[in-house]
Amino acid sequence: MHERLSFHIKRDSVLHRLNPLTKLTLVLALIMVAFTSPWYWTPHLLFLFVIIPLSFIGKVFREFFFAATRLILPAAGFLFLMQAFFQPIGEHVIFKFYFLDITQESLMFAFKNAMRVIVMVSSFTLFLLTTHPSELMSDLTRRGLPGQFAYVIISTLQILPQIQSKSQTIISAQRSRGLDTEGNFFKRAGSLVPLVGPLVFGSLVEVEERAIAIEARGFTSKSIKTSLYEIADTSFEKIIRWGLIIIIILSIVLNIWL
Amino acid sequence: MALVNLQNVTYKYPLTKTPALQNINLQIKEGEFVAVVGANGAGKSTLCYTLAGFAPHFFKGEMSGSIEVAGKESSKSTLDEWVLNVGLAFQNPFNQISGAKYTVFEEIAFGLENIGVPRDEMKDRVNDALALTGITDLADRSPYSLSGGQQQRVALTSILVMQPKLLVLDEPTSQMDPIGTREVFSVIRKMAEGGMTVVMVEHKMEWIAQFADRVIALKDGSILLEGKPGEVLTSDVLAENGFGISRYTSTAREAKKQGLWKKEKLPVTLDEAVEGFKK
Ligand SMILES: Nc1ncnc2c1ncn2[C@@H]1O[C@H](COP(=O)(O)OP(=O)(O)OP(=O)(O)O)[C@@H](O)[C@H]1O
Ligand SMILES: [Mg+2]
Repeated sequence: MHERLSFHIKRDSVLHRLNPLTKLTLVLALIMVAFTSPWYWTPHLLFLFVIIPLSFIGKVFREFFFAATRLILPAAGFLFLMQAFFQPIGEHVIFKFYFLDITQESLMFAFKNAMRVIVMVSSFTLFLLTTHPSELMSDLTRRGLPGQFAYVIISTLQILPQIQSKSQTIISAQRSRGLDTEGNFFKRAGSLVPLVGPLVFGSLVEVEERAIAIEARGFTSKSIKTSLYEIADTSFEKIIRWGLIIIIILSIVLNIWL
Repeated sequence: MALVNLQNVTYKYPLTKTPALQNINLQIKEGEFVAVVGANGAGKSTLCYTLAGFAPHFFKGEMSGSIEVAGKESSKSTLDEWVLNVGLAFQNPFNQISGAKYTVFEEIAFGLENIGVPRDEMKDRVNDALALTGITDLADRSPYSLSGGQQQRVALTSILVMQPKLLVLDEPTSQMDPIGTREVFSVIRKMAEGGMTVVMVEHKMEWIAQFADRVIALKDGSILLEGKPGEVLTSDVLAENGFGISRYTSTAREAKKQGLWKKEKLPVTLDEAVEGFKK
């Protein structure tokens, strides 16, 4: 049923082998630079000459392309149109549509903002494609992220599709007992009431049982946790991370200065 | 020396008036395989939670009497220490999946990561446990994609891998087919022979008769009967108190009334029944 609950694509590449924290820093640097760099073409160049090549290095270009065309571009395109039409800046009107007009300035502004969003979402997509969630969490816990915190994040990611499929099961079960979930809006809204009980109460009992189950497996043990995965981290990567942080700071400083 | 020693244990869940366990006295030797039977609400699960430390440490409520496992007293321990000695698996396998892991292998390693077992030893132990319960071929699957019976095996394996001194199982085979049930019973028998002490709640009388060393029959929170499976499971007291009994036992009991069953002792399993009717 839910065989694949993460975006991660298992492949062997330099990007896959990088420490999760290095990749996370890289994502952060790309986003920060795209948003703060004072130079107009920065996000465009980052996308063309950093993110796309990285998707090849990570051997996930096909999946990346798929996500980009299906998800990222439509969203960015919508954002572009909204801003191009509704941004009341500039005088050089190119196009008029009743009271809406597109100026050269608003077009440029919208193009840059859409590109920033593309950089943000696509670098994050690349990160998810090349990083196993368990590895990320193990690495972050090892660096001092509380175990409970990591557990909450990762189990929420996994449990959402479960809740969705469960509410579907409950609906079918209630329907087979004669519940009407079709018809006009008020009828449908009213018929949701009997679904809430099993979903919420069921979840509470489940939460209790799950708490017992993970407790029985030493979840609150005071000993130092170990990890199934060996997560490589080299001093070279540490230098890269510091380099990225310096770039972030520089970009912010330039943004304030200029 | 007994590994488990319960003295006058009485327990009430919070906000309830009648105790779920009443005056339980129970000693279990190391390496013994004890089965627990009883009707719904008899207190079987509560007994499991008590042995595993969750009553009262997790549920709160009122506990009196003394609970000793492996020389430690429950009231003087914390839950995270207690679970190192006592492993618990229960009925609903879905809720026992940690939800934090993407493969069965990782899922089974979860407990070992928590208690800080070194990586190499962890991998060996997970591989051994997978082989023991016969789910090596599921290692790379997502735990959520498995059938109920397979998930129950994962739940059992996840707790076996922790190598507890006392293994507490609350209806661990409820979603398994006869073949799966037989395999699980033989694995548990093997663990008991290797020195692990096992307490298992189970409704399948024929399997208990074949594999368990002792049976405890619970009724309304108290021990009604206790002894060898062949004696307890065929006793008239059990039948009179509305316990589920094996169909071979009830058939033979009827047959005995008609004079068709000649032996003194009633059967629990098919083999015993066939043997008895032959004479
Ligand atoms: N969390 C709880 N809070 C309050 N009362 C509870 C709780 N769990 C169980 N009980 C009550 O304790 C008594 C014993 O329940 P228990 O679950 O131990 O029975 P059981 O023998 O395991 O039954 P089943 O065969 O249905 O699993 C019942 O009367 C039940 O209502
Ligand atoms: Mg129960």
